[in-house]
Amino acid sequence: MTEWRKKTPLEWLSYVNKEVQVLAAEKHQFKGWVLTVDPVSANILLANPLDNGKVSVSAILGHAVQDVEVMNEADDEMKEKLERLFIPGESQTYSQ
Amino acid sequence: GPTSLPSAAPEDASVLQREQESRVALRERYLRSLLAMAGQPVSFTMYEKVSVTAVFGTSDIDVLNFQVSELQTPLGVQKEALLRCSDIIAYSFQL
Amino acid sequence: STGRSAQPPTEKPGERRMAEMKKLYGEGASKIQAMETTMQLSFDRNCDKKQPKYWPIIPLKL
Repeated sequence: MTEWRKKTPLEWLSYVNKEVQVLAAEKHQFKGWVLTVDPVSANILLANPLDNGKVSVSAILGHAVQDVEVMNEADDEMKEKLERLFIPGESQTYSQ
Repeated sequence: GPTSLPSAAPEDASVLQREQESRVALRERYLRSLLAMAGQPVSFTMYEKVSVTAVFGTSDIDVLNFQVSELQTPLGVQKEALLRCSDIIAYSFQL
Repeated sequence: STGRSAQPPTEKPGERRMAEMKKLYGEGASKIQAMETTMQLSFDRNCDKKQPKYWPIIPLKL
């Protein structure tokens, strides 16, 4: 794989809404649905829906990413769930 | 070197535009996730098998430093702290 | 970087940053810049107010 941090925005975008397995530094492994990849840091943001209706969100820092393997593609229901997580304007404000 | 640069072909211009649009979408979502993290307890997995939790505050825009509060370190609580993103492998929180 | 003379910058930093943002984000540059400015202000304000110290003091990874 091309070094993760050197990928283009279009390549990063192609991972959004895919279920991936990420191998990171010190043999850490992460699995989840890709919400976004920050084009500045190359941090990968993953979502894992929990049984209690909440969502566990994890980020793997771009510098620690060693390999990203695509496992599955989200169906429409999952896509909608992922898109709703950070809705512009709702419940979140720019200033705290 | 060349005396004049070749003008960009139309397909190059459209690739550039698609790249820019992708970057906007990806970056906006990531910035929103940082905003959503404010005030939440976050677990950090760091290098050298170090794990800590803290209440997230803010990030600088270059994503080099996280400002956190109530950092639970192996040696006790540090009320206010800065974490270097270069020390962090991953972090997680719940929404 | 060879033979670059020490000329004073002809652009202001803010202008250069907007030009870079425009190149990276195109039409969306001002939206992203607005979000980033707010976030950076909040970071700077919190650091001023709370005076956080780096933890750990020595970086884990250089």
